Amino acid sequence: MTGLAVDDAAWRSAWRVRSPADKLALCVGLVLCALVLPPWPGAVLVGAVAVGLALGPARVPAGTFLRAIRWPMAFLAVGALTAVVTLDGGIPGWAPDAAARAGELVGRALAGTSAVLLLATTTPMSDLLPELRRLRVPDAVVEIASVTYRMLFLLLAALGSVREAQTARMGWSTAGRSYRSAGMLAAAVLTRSWDRAHRMHEGLAGRGMETGLRVLPEARPSSPAFLASTAVLLAAVVAVTGAVR
Amino acid sequence: MHIAEGFLPAAHAAGWALAAAPFVVHGARAVTREVRERPEATLLLGAAGAFTFVLSAIKLPSITGSSSHPTGTGAGAILFRPPVMALLGTVVLLFQALLLAHGGLTTLGANAFAFAVVGPWAAYGSYRLVRRLGGGLLPGVFVGTVLADLATYVTTSVQLALAFPDATGGIAGALVKFLGVFAFTQVPLAIGEGLLAVLLFRVLTVNARPELERLGVLRPAADQEAAA
Repeated sequence: MTGLAVDDAAWRSAWRVRSPADKLALCVGLVLCALVLPPWPGAVLVGAVAVGLALGPARVPAGTFLRAIRWPMAFLAVGALTAVVTLDGGIPGWAPDAAARAGELVGRALAGTSAVLLLATTTPMSDLLPELRRLRVPDAVVEIASVTYRMLFLLLAALGSVREAQTARMGWSTAGRSYRSAGMLAAAVLTRSWDRAHRMHEGLAGRGMETGLRVLPEARPSSPAFLASTAVLLAAVVAVTGAVR
Repeated sequence: MHIAEGFLPAAHAAGWALAAAPFVVHGARAVTREVRERPEATLLLGAAGAFTFVLSAIKLPSITGSSSHPTGTGAGAILFRPPVMALLGTVVLLFQALLLAHGGLTTLGANAFAFAVVGPWAAYGSYRLVRRLGGGLLPGVFVGTVLADLATYVTTSVQLALAFPDATGGIAGALVKFLGVFAFTQVPLAIGEGLLAVLLFRVLTVNARPELERLGVLRPAADQEAAA
């Protein structure tokens, strides 16, 4: 358990052993389909495929998937409503085709979010980051992102334990105390992160780190069958959308 | 607030990605140079990225009853400078998209422009201005952090207004709508995060003075004594 449900799901997923490049091709394809195809039926198909694959072959827990989608839902509800309300002379009213436009917006965004979540719940960040090198992202940036990913969980654990100690001492009992505690919590986490970075540097320098933090990536060969299925699936989504329109 | 995946039309998503790219590339170059000169910078910058991500997990009590989470880019820009934050902020946004489903991949450019470019520059610019006008560290930190959050919120509202102009009021009408709706959460958040940053820097000046001096946020104590 790491405290981030999506990350936990990614490590446990049945698709964890698949090549990250294969999963990227599938999920980026789905995201692009959600973005450019007409929302009906394109977005509905993309959403159904993404959720179906995640809960089916990839065996992601449905609860994790639903909980993760709650946050974007709040933004979508407020954002889509605001987009289709019109202020005519200061009086709010519905824009023409308000229901259809809101439906299109929410459908597209939910389909896209599901496709991103399919990637997020099947591929840990430590598998994805080396793929960034292939996209010509500089090594230094990939290494910083890798350190960020690895240190994240230490800091989240520190955050949890400091907050627990503060709560036990009534640190979060009133708004004023909460602010004071939040300030001290942030400072404690920041100084711990510096301390941790210094100690890691000393440890690595002692072992002769000169040219960066190269680690051997786990070999996960690309599966021709998976890539072929991806191509067929994406073509089917495009074809069905075209036929229905 | 992060714009969710798929919310922006394709042309807008691509346009904002192009707008954010030069700043992020400049940040990546600055960081690459820094790492080549000082290999330990990899670990310190990685730690800074992790801190920015974790800061958004701290829940602030809010006046309007909505829960608000700090963005961390204002304090980050004052500590690490805006070019570094353009890169770190984008990395953190990628992590938030893939670990928390906040934001998205196609909206990464738009979110990076608001959170990692406009916010940090607003923070750093106003912080330097307050310091130059004779304001102390803490007033500068407060103004910088509040303006970073407000600038981010206004930028996101502009992005949404450009994508979804109002049927009668056009882009200006849509901007009023989005600014109004998100003001309920974003204005209290800006003030709350400003207070949090002041408390954070107050603790840091006591407990982590050498680090602040090394980052150039505080002048070395010997200079101050000599000046006094």
